[in-house]
Amino acid sequence: MAKVRTMADARREQRRAYWTLVLPGFLLYISVMAFPTIFSVVLSLTNYNGGKLFGGRVPIELVGLKWYQRLIVDEYFYLALKNNLWIVMVSVFGQIPLGFFLAYVLYRGLVKGRDFFQTMIYLPTVISTVVIGILWKSFFAPHGAFPELMRFFMPGYEYSLSQHPMIPVLFVILWMYSGMYMIIFIANLQKIDNTIIEAARIDGASEMQVLRYVILPALSGVIVVTAILAISGSLKSFDLIFIMTAGGPANRTSVLSIYMFDKAFKGAPNYPLANAISTVMVIISFFLIGLTKFAENKFGGRE
Amino acid sequence: MNDIKDHSSARSRISTTITYLVMIFFTVMALYPLFWLILSSFKTTTEFQMNKLGFPRRWVTINYKDAWVRGKFPVLIANSLFYTTVTTLAILLLSFMAGFGFSKIRHKATAVLHGSFVIGILLTLQSIMVPLFLIVNWVGLYNTRLGVLIPYIGIGMPMGVYLGTEYIRSIPDALVESARIDGASYSHIFWRIIVPMAAPVGMTVAILTVTGTWNEFMLINILTSSDALKSLPVGVQKFAGALSTDYGKQFAALTIGLIPMLLFYLIFRKEITKGVAAGAVKG
Amino acid sequence: MVRLVCTKYELMNRRLHPVGMMGKKGEGKTLNKMVLTDHLEVEMTGLRKVAVLLLALVVLGTSLVAQGVKADAEDGKITLNVLNYIDMSEPNSANEVKMIWDRFEQENPDIKIVREDLFNEPFHYKTEAYIASGQLPDVVYMWPSGRSTSLHTTGSVKDLMPLLERDGLVKDYNPAALAPQFAGFLGELPNGITTTHMLFVNKKVLRDNGLPITTDFNEMKKMVPVLKAKGIELIAMDNMDDWVMQSCLFSMVVGRYGGVDWYDRLEAGQLKFTDPWFVKSLELIDDMYKSGMINRNTLGSPYGASRSSFATGKAAFLIDGDWATGSFMTDVTTGDALINAKAQADDFELMVITNLPGEVVHNSNSGVVGTGWGMSADIPAGSAREEAAWRLIKFLQGEYVQTYRLTTGASFPSNLKVDVAKIAREENLEPFITKRADYYNNYVPITPVIDGVLHSDVFNVINKGLQEIGLGSKAPSVVAAEVQRAWEAFLKN
Repeated sequence: MAKVRTMADARREQRRAYWTLVLPGFLLYISVMAFPTIFSVVLSLTNYNGGKLFGGRVPIELVGLKWYQRLIVDEYFYLALKNNLWIVMVSVFGQIPLGFFLAYVLYRGLVKGRDFFQTMIYLPTVISTVVIGILWKSFFAPHGAFPELMRFFMPGYEYSLSQHPMIPVLFVILWMYSGMYMIIFIANLQKIDNTIIEAARIDGASEMQVLRYVILPALSGVIVVTAILAISGSLKSFDLIFIMTAGGPANRTSVLSIYMFDKAFKGAPNYPLANAISTVMVIISFFLIGLTKFAENKFGGRE
Repeated sequence: MNDIKDHSSARSRISTTITYLVMIFFTVMALYPLFWLILSSFKTTTEFQMNKLGFPRRWVTINYKDAWVRGKFPVLIANSLFYTTVTTLAILLLSFMAGFGFSKIRHKATAVLHGSFVIGILLTLQSIMVPLFLIVNWVGLYNTRLGVLIPYIGIGMPMGVYLGTEYIRSIPDALVESARIDGASYSHIFWRIIVPMAAPVGMTVAILTVTGTWNEFMLINILTSSDALKSLPVGVQKFAGALSTDYGKQFAALTIGLIPMLLFYLIFRKEITKGVAAGAVKG
Repeated sequence: MVRLVCTKYELMNRRLHPVGMMGKKGEGKTLNKMVLTDHLEVEMTGLRKVAVLLLALVVLGTSLVAQGVKADAEDGKITLNVLNYIDMSEPNSANEVKMIWDRFEQENPDIKIVREDLFNEPFHYKTEAYIASGQLPDVVYMWPSGRSTSLHTTGSVKDLMPLLERDGLVKDYNPAALAPQFAGFLGELPNGITTTHMLFVNKKVLRDNGLPITTDFNEMKKMVPVLKAKGIELIAMDNMDDWVMQSCLFSMVVGRYGGVDWYDRLEAGQLKFTDPWFVKSLELIDDMYKSGMINRNTLGSPYGASRSSFATGKAAFLIDGDWATGSFMTDVTTGDALINAKAQADDFELMVITNLPGEVVHNSNSGVVGTGWGMSADIPAGSAREEAAWRLIKFLQGEYVQTYRLTTGASFPSNLKVDVAKIAREENLEPFITKRADYYNNYVPITPVIDGVLHSDVFNVINKGLQEIGLGSKAPSVVAAEVQRAWEAFLKN
């Protein structure tokens, strides 16, 4: 059926389609996220001090960057930031290589029962952080199963993890998410054109050489994507640590999101300061992701 | 030639064994904690104190009965199912729609709109909790199921739109264009072409949304006050309190909290692993 | 089997053809031709179909049942919103609903209660959210200070004293329980007086190791090597949560060195945190860690975790608050107890640490008014709603409820009408309850608890500082200086 349509008609239809497609989701998203976020940024510039936000006893005034200045000199802010960076490190240099290693082993068929291993190693990722947090919290407590387990292998073991409380947390993070990266890498490894690998083999390349010169370059794009995922996830991470240690003894396991939560909800709430922290967090995320993209462009991914 | 072959086969046997051991090690690492959890839930608290690692000397099921009743789990599980399913379907639909619009229709507004979604990925829940509470109250949706669904959907949109747009972008424009030339409406194109083709990324988004929504435990407390509306993680958390010494019930509650997701995963694992893989593959 | 073939495609040689859904190959318009590689097959086997169907049914079912739960105002009935604090893993918590809340509704058919149960972190941040939005429920569970400080300072709750006076109930309560709270008025009607330091003594462990039954500080220190050789801790404590050390030990110590009125003198400017009374208190804690009286690994122990180890003899003493006695007692629903009645009588005691080196006051204990119930300030004075809410609060702190809480060890009554001795005899209460009554009598005077009198800007620094001392990363004098700075900053505001 031929419809006589002018260019203008077509364009109008196109525009209508565009807005029909995009607007519902956008409106929903904006109402849920945009207003609260803008609100929180504005609040971070005021002297709000608790009590009703609207129609309260004390009028709220803008005070500029006072809270950001307060933040920069707080030692616990840097402690939290440091922990976040630790998590980023463990994610990028722990989960991703580990995931890759496991993927490679399974992909190259070095062991049988790939399906089984795949399923089992990915399992921790789907379990609720509440469950995992509580589980590991009990496990690593001084009277928990961990010391008993250690004593089984090393009699006379003295529990000393409370001196380095970040270690159990990092361990659990590694445990939980490596499986996800493994799956991603397996899929991408499968995408690599086999003929190239075979050609390299015929030319006499060893396993290691194939890995270095064929496989890794082909995966560089994916590695960057996973790095970005890992970084943004690390900076936001809250649930697990909150359940496990709530910031740990003397803020030793605090991360930015927990630090912010404490300021907002512990004792007399200081919402402006908390919101200043969350604004800073977004800025840092931007920065790190920008850095990753820059690295990608520089050291280039050949797909 | 024979020498070389012998050496390499001996070496490869050793390395195969080592690799097997490594894989088994990781599998054990992944499974043991859960195994330990389930095992411990069958011990009474006092026995657990004496015997943290071994098999229960006396298998008890009272923990489960107690935890199930006290924690009001039936209602919570039903709620979790409801919230998760509706949220996931809604996000899938809206993400595909927006993804299609952003990547296949040229428009000046795309840069701004799409960009604002992407920023959403970086935002944290905690910073918006209190203002969200205010809004939900203001529109009268506090303590209603709809009042939980809308925030859940809104929060899951950024990731869905980001992944959806990326993926749909790689569907050849030619397909869409020729469909248009043939007189197909956008609706037809959307349902007949885009949706089937974007199924892999749909899987990824679905999985992320399901795991995220199912395990969400903070916002639900802010958005609701009556127990009849709460979700599973809330029930689990009740047993992990400041004064909790009753490990038996706590572990039973944890296991109960664990099982639905576990079942979901085991049944749909092929789709899940393929979906995560396919969706994250560039192009 | 239904085959759902979804395709991912690859552009090769500019030839494309699509494969439609539902496995019918070549269907649909052949717009362009596309060569397919890689397809994703979702095989809907019987099991999966069932699973999906079941899921759909549940979703439909739950969505049909109730869109939301709103508090309806039925004719003649007043609906009260209540924010309750309840820990499901505590023994006896399930019983509480029946014994207290159901009973109230029975006795007061014209009031309907809509209760929200939360505890720990969710409770606190929900409270803050309520305050910020001006939506506080009618009756709320709260502290006299500490985490509920903002309820007091923002005037979100009413002063209950006028209502008490109006109904002539002032004489019914322990005067100490009616003292003005953090913002200077009676924001909540307390359950009782709480002492925050209790030294649980496992006499059996001491006897079995030939040690004297004493709580003298220096004597306790001497026990450390003997017990360590057997793999037993001297003092069990859960210091991962930052308030525990401050509340359950340090406040008592500060009272011993600073005297009963240290807070008054501090406020009047006569004392500084850098003076000896405070520094010596910090040094004592430091000493306890260094000498092994308290193991540094307690900083990795989440609150509540070491109770069972203590009960099973892995430590000779436990430091916790008086509220912890309830957790050792019998759970009526299961009949289980961490420490059974006989053991309570024979093998355990409830005491305090005595004879701190150089202490100024002897046998004092740190105490604060307990938690209780407050009323939202938004309720108009003299309204029917206020009457209903007040009736609820009176009930919750009345003889019946307080007696119940006494028998479960939940709290020690502030209502003088509750005759503790009589009930202990008649109801055959567990030994811990009588021991607790004796404990309150033995250890006077009562000195202030730090997070009960200081603002969170100051006590948060103290809490963290104590943990730093525990980790060995800050010296007492450094912490004292930090606290003084925080105090001065607070005074300026």
